Amino acid sequence: MEPGSENVKAVRRSKEEKKLLRKQIKASHTLLKHEGISTVSQPTKSLVVANGGLGNGVSREQLQDVLGEVGEVETLVMPPHKPYALVTYRSEVSAQRGHALNGRQLQCGDQIVTLYLSYINTVDSELWGGVDLPPGLVLVEEFVSPEEEALLLDAIDWTSHDEDVTVQKVLKHRRVKHFGYEFRYDNNNVDKDKPLPGGLPQVCVPVLERCVRDRHAEVMPDQLTVNQYQSGQGIPPHVDTHSAFEDLILSLSLGAKTVMDFRHPEGRSVAVMLPGRSLLVMKGESRYLWTHGITPRKFDVVPACDPKSPAAVTSDLSNHSNLTLSRRGTRTSLTFRKVRRTPCDCGYPSACDSQQPTAPPSPPSLPRSQTDACRLEAEFVHRVYEEIACHFSSTRHSPWPRVCHFLSSLEPGSILADVGCGNGKYLGVNPEVIAVGCDRSSALLQICSERGFQAFVSDALNVPLRSDTCDACISIAVIHHLSTQKRRQAVVEELVRLLRPGGRALIYVWAVEQEYNKQKSKYLKETREQGPTGDSTDHSNQESKSLTGNATDAHNTAQDLSGIATDCTKVHRESPAKLSVHTNRTAFNSQDLLVPWHLKGGGRGGCNQGRGGDEQGEQGSKNTLDPPTEAQAPVPNTAPSPVFHRYYHVFQKGELEELCVKVRGVTIQRSYHDQGNWCVILEKTGDR
Amino acid sequence: MFCILRVYAFFSSGLCGSQATEVRVSEVEFNPNFVSRMIPTLDWSALVQAADGLGLLQGLPAELVTDYEKNEDFLRKVHRVLLEVEVLEGCLQCPESGREFPISRGVPNMLLNEDEA
Repeated sequence: MEPGSENVKAVRRSKEEKKLLRKQIKASHTLLKHEGISTVSQPTKSLVVANGGLGNGVSREQLQDVLGEVGEVETLVMPPHKPYALVTYRSEVSAQRGHALNGRQLQCGDQIVTLYLSYINTVDSELWGGVDLPPGLVLVEEFVSPEEEALLLDAIDWTSHDEDVTVQKVLKHRRVKHFGYEFRYDNNNVDKDKPLPGGLPQVCVPVLERCVRDRHAEVMPDQLTVNQYQSGQGIPPHVDTHSAFEDLILSLSLGAKTVMDFRHPEGRSVAVMLPGRSLLVMKGESRYLWTHGITPRKFDVVPACDPKSPAAVTSDLSNHSNLTLSRRGTRTSLTFRKVRRTPCDCGYPSACDSQQPTAPPSPPSLPRSQTDACRLEAEFVHRVYEEIACHFSSTRHSPWPRVCHFLSSLEPGSILADVGCGNGKYLGVNPEVIAVGCDRSSALLQICSERGFQAFVSDALNVPLRSDTCDACISIAVIHHLSTQKRRQAVVEELVRLLRPGGRALIYVWAVEQEYNKQKSKYLKETREQGPTGDSTDHSNQESKSLTGNATDAHNTAQDLSGIATDCTKVHRESPAKLSVHTNRTAFNSQDLLVPWHLKGGGRGGCNQGRGGDEQGEQGSKNTLDPPTEAQAPVPNTAPSPVFHRYYHVFQKGELEELCVKVRGVTIQRSYHDQGNWCVILEKTGDR
Repeated sequence: MFCILRVYAFFSSGLCGSQATEVRVSEVEFNPNFVSRMIPTLDWSALVQAADGLGLLQGLPAELVTDYEKNEDFLRKVHRVLLEVEVLEGCLQCPESGREFPISRGVPNMLLNEDEA
């Protein structure tokens, strides 16, 4: 061979190598930025395979084959919809050979996919099995060594003789110490003009320098808050005050692991497990918009890890049998922040105290007057149904059997009024009866009209039908939308007014007790039945499931249901009057709440069959995976679907009966629980 | 406003002081028992008034006939007005208060304002 061409070849090769390296680095950065996966340069047993994901159309078998060529694969995690996979080899040597697969190409259908592999720290497969961390949030594991951890913990002196240097307060729950500047809990801000003497402890400096070196921080923080949580202690959900601190917040977890809950104002929530010695980096949306908090608990529910099984399909996130309880130990967090000197100018004004002259609008609370009640219902019931009508109707296509039974038992020619008829689901069940429906939503009534049913717009509190004219009335899933006990009773009274003596009314309302007689309602069951590719947007508004989200919810389910089953009166609320947002498909932790509806298919406009939604277990079409794409950056999620909140008062056992007992001229014929609802059949007394 | 509650005759075709800009007449299978059962629930004069207003009286008597259950001719007239005529666009008027309720795309809107309830 000519010397010249050999050189050319060498040059060409190194150019290709450089290009490959560049692409690998780019993939690595993208994974960090979008997925919170940090790659390391030192060989480990685990690798991230960028572009080797289910989201790219790469199949498990295919990837397994390629990776298995170079050594024994211990686990292969392929989170659904993601553009990457995580592989752990039996040995580091195998992993190194795996690393050399960098640049390998796969044929996936009619596309060529190029794999880029980088080392990562241990695949905490439960954590990476589909977590969609809030944007801007990064978790870096094993950020400090056990020795460094011991040093740091020792350096924190919880005794009070250093009162000049640190200000130590013992709060009702966790223990807290501040350095640099004192954080005040009365106004959730910092005394910027009164720095604490001593600054940040010397022992923290190497840690902070590492943060800067690893590009997690650009400037050195000047404020440190140390929190110590015993098992059973936590911190309520909050956003760190915008005007007090700059964007970046670094939190080092020492001691025991815990689960931190992140919540988006629209209701989405992500539970993030924070192992000991990990660093949590909060920036951007995760810092400015999402709240974070730690639920006071003694145990966390975490997925059980089974690293022994080869290529374990850990992406099956809905499998609750794979969960375990992890007892909490004492955890100490060191949160480093930089005091802000100029007003906050973030892109999240709704949560920003610099940009809002007054506090951001508080969440709605239970009404104290008729006017309040009307307003609450107008905003959180009527307006919402108008917006979601089409989508809502598409998920309400199956009449409930026991309601049908009631309807079928009516004599031919009976007059039936369906108060709150919605899309007219029940108006045609028994064609022998003369049925008329009414509802507050014109959009839903349109559907009735199109189906040939008689229906009109009216309020359940003032039905423009004459008294004593109906043989039967039904009101299915309506009364729970009224926000005061008085109003709920008034609807029952209205139904009774419409009935002729001897006529019967059937009422269904949503029950606190979703599980009854050991039967889970469809509403709760749905989470289990969804396979790995199932749509879970009604769960947490994420296209791919959040495993840690499931962990929390499963916990809540277990916890709250047992609480409810034994003591119906012990329904705790976040505060006496504020309405909390419910997490769909979990047990209720309050009787008055806002239930999210995730809109699909354009609401009023397009009436597409679609999933999403919320509650009573009726599903539309199956969700399909997006077509595979080669992506170094993940395919950006389509803009999150709009979320609407509907007000509900869920009924406790016996509550509906109690209500009906107060209504004159009627007796309770039957009372039962059906699919997560409390139900009564009433009969109007008096002569026919 | 109880007058509305008391006067509104059962179906949307039970119009009182009606105006209709768009009416649809369709064919519906005649079921005499069905119609017979509906009649006692109606405010007869209101029905007649409404039908008249629509120009669809067509021999419907001002007074309810006795023994109507067996009067097929009569029942058919009632059937037509009650079940075959639909007002798609128009309004309902309460004869006592004069308050108007619009009908849009076949759906009457009977909502009262807060101060009216």
